[in-house]
Amino acid sequence: MSTEVTYTVSIPESKLDILRQKLALVEFPDELENSQWNYGVPLADIKRLVARWKDGYDWRAEESKLNKDLPQFTRDIDVDGFETLNIHYVHQKSPVTNAIPLLFVHGWPGNFIEVRKILPLLLQSSPQFPSFHVVAIGLPGYGFSEGSHKTGFAAEQYAEVAHKLMLLLGYNEYVTQGGDWGFLITRTIAQKYGGKHSKAWHTNFPASTPLQFSSNPILYLQHLVTPYTEAEKAGIERSKWFAREGRGYFEEQATKPQTLGYSLADSPVGLLAWIYEKLVNWTDSYPWTDDEVLTWISIFYFSRAGPAASIRIYYEVMHSKGFLQSSSPKPTIPLGVSQFPNELRITPRKFHHNLGKLVFQAEHSSGGHFAAYERPEELVGDLRKMFGKRGPAFGVVPGKNGYEDRVNANL
Amino acid sequence: MSSFKIAISSAALSALKNRLESTRFPDELDDSGWEYGVPLADIKRLVARWRDGFDWRQEEQKLNDELPQYTREIEVDGFGVLDVHYVHKKSESGQGIPLLFSHGWPGSFLESRKIIPLLTKGSGGDPVFDVVALSLPGFGFSEGPKKKGFSVPQYAEVAHKLMLALGYTEYVTQGGDVGSRITAEMALHYGGEHSKAWHTNVIYSPPPENDDLSSYTAFEKEGLARGEEFQRSGSGYLAQQSTKPQTLGYSLADSPVGLLAWIYEKLVAWSDNYPWTDDEVLTWVSIYWFSRAGPAASIRFYYEFAHSGQGFGTRSSQAVPTIPMGCSLFPKELVRIPKSWYPSVGNVVFEAEHDSGGHFAAHEEPELLVGDLRKMFGKGGPAFGVVPGRSGYI
Repeated sequence: MSTEVTYTVSIPESKLDILRQKLALVEFPDELENSQWNYGVPLADIKRLVARWKDGYDWRAEESKLNKDLPQFTRDIDVDGFETLNIHYVHQKSPVTNAIPLLFVHGWPGNFIEVRKILPLLLQSSPQFPSFHVVAIGLPGYGFSEGSHKTGFAAEQYAEVAHKLMLLLGYNEYVTQGGDWGFLITRTIAQKYGGKHSKAWHTNFPASTPLQFSSNPILYLQHLVTPYTEAEKAGIERSKWFAREGRGYFEEQATKPQTLGYSLADSPVGLLAWIYEKLVNWTDSYPWTDDEVLTWISIFYFSRAGPAASIRIYYEVMHSKGFLQSSSPKPTIPLGVSQFPNELRITPRKFHHNLGKLVFQAEHSSGGHFAAYERPEELVGDLRKMFGKRGPAFGVVPGKNGYEDRVNANL
Repeated sequence: MSSFKIAISSAALSALKNRLESTRFPDELDDSGWEYGVPLADIKRLVARWRDGFDWRQEEQKLNDELPQYTREIEVDGFGVLDVHYVHKKSESGQGIPLLFSHGWPGSFLESRKIIPLLTKGSGGDPVFDVVALSLPGFGFSEGPKKKGFSVPQYAEVAHKLMLALGYTEYVTQGGDVGSRITAEMALHYGGEHSKAWHTNVIYSPPPENDDLSSYTAFEKEGLARGEEFQRSGSGYLAQQSTKPQTLGYSLADSPVGLLAWIYEKLVAWSDNYPWTDDEVLTWVSIYWFSRAGPAASIRFYYEFAHSGQGFGTRSSQAVPTIPMGCSLFPKELVRIPKSWYPSVGNVVFEAEHDSGGHFAAHEEPELLVGDLRKMFGKGGPAFGVVPGRSGYI
């Protein structure tokens, strides 16, 4: 029987001491002249962040804010063929009784903190737009969720955990939002639990593949004859950059995560650089404050399963038997896509139709990979349009259209 | 030029011990073996030994006793002066064939340790060599470059100028891993006049234009498949080091266990069941930890190679070195190319195939490797007498 336990982030003082000791002993490499960001994170950035982390950065204050802003819980979830895992999540109900239950799934190097800015917006009640009950799961192996100790914990398992969480919270029918690994996980949810449970899915990381004449003949031909927009051209360049310069982490994490894990577990500066590089390269000039970065990294450093656990998903997914066929069967539930220009893989817009039943598409002129964190208003705006009264996915969850009853009565 | 003795300060030794004592280990998946990377038990055991028991001073002493070391300033066009560390051991006669030995990554000058006694002393019919084993800039006790763009031509320039500075205007070379790429460049750029012949244990080229899969033997196809497997599951380090070496460098510089795992994984994966002792591994990794330029410097050349169009899959020009080339093929090398590709690499006059040995040939199979060099350069061999006046015989 799975009981919900209220969770308060409370890192023991002994762990803070160990971190401080390690930071006091940090040994820095040198750097090539004028290398800037080309070879990786610049030394000056790292030195500044480490100095702050050591002196001045107040984890206790950040911890307190996290606990204040995000109502957190844990509960045990059985995973078929694996262990029972204690899962950490954020859960807040909207004041609107019939708000739409929404599952938010982060990726790597993200965690539950990514829900922080969209949460208050999603909960807002208004006759103008729908409201949501929000569940932000901490994926197994991330943040304060346990990780599995067995090999083979891949997309299906992450999907199973998230789906079971929604059921245990009483949300038999729900919608999902996900980026990065959240895309793959919510797609798996849509494939396995779509229709009956998952009613619609929205993503900001559409990993679309080229159209096939056999499956989408009209779109295929249209794609052939329509010139790319400026945004699409820029997106293709960005994708090329990412494929050429930005995938080292992926290759290592997908093949030898344990080897890399020793560094990430042992060295706070190593972990900082590894993640901070992505926080900067993957966002659209997001003005990270040092403390914002350090809170994000500290969650990895203090994570329950340790930083080495979070990267195993790359290995597992890339080695899972179903991976090559994972895009089929195509989910049949409505799909919404939000396109942000600094996303890592940007495909021509028509390709999104290959992902499933595309009913909503939005294009933005700024923002990157961490959309919920960089552009919360825009992302929530898209969800409101997609699920709102005149939206293509209005009322997908029976009895929970996101509006107050008096509005329902007027329809 | 100065003679050099490795003398790591006690401050550095106790700093290392401190860090080892505060190592924070990750967990590990059940029954994951070597699939996900180095097993936790191996790493814990090695860290415990490194912390207590491993005697760096003793290893240091042995190295200083076995290998006569020096440093010398070498001017590199566009990069200023670099202080280069090297081993220089002459044959007993002092008239051996001058041989430049170049290590690669994650190797070091240490890889010359076992072959030097064999190369400098022969028995009867063997030619002898005067050996120069340099620490590539950024490795071991050589300074690293401070500017961007230090790539294949620069490494070749350093090695060549070192040989000239030692009075060896004509010489031969032996190299594996990136040492193979560097000595190939030397063969091309300085070949004929200075480099007279080159030997490698990694013969590699990208596929020729008219690559015809059906023309290869089963053995050759298997070799290509090994290369593909390496690409698929063993080249994560290459992708990272070729794109974001600085980011990785923070870990390697700050975490002895991180550095240990990163290198040890290759020592095991790339060798042919070589029975590494813990102290052997720790000596190898300690050279990286205590290196003059720091561990982060050694991986930058991957970035430089990849971004200068001079990487492992390319040549700096279409030209092929014409000087005699020898290659020794060891079964656990990372990739093997079909023989039909050899003409695009060099003028192969000597080839030997072995049943055992891997990527670190000089360390794993010193007798086999030296045996090949003796055959190639000895009386009756295809490269006998390439260095005028230095046949290797008195």
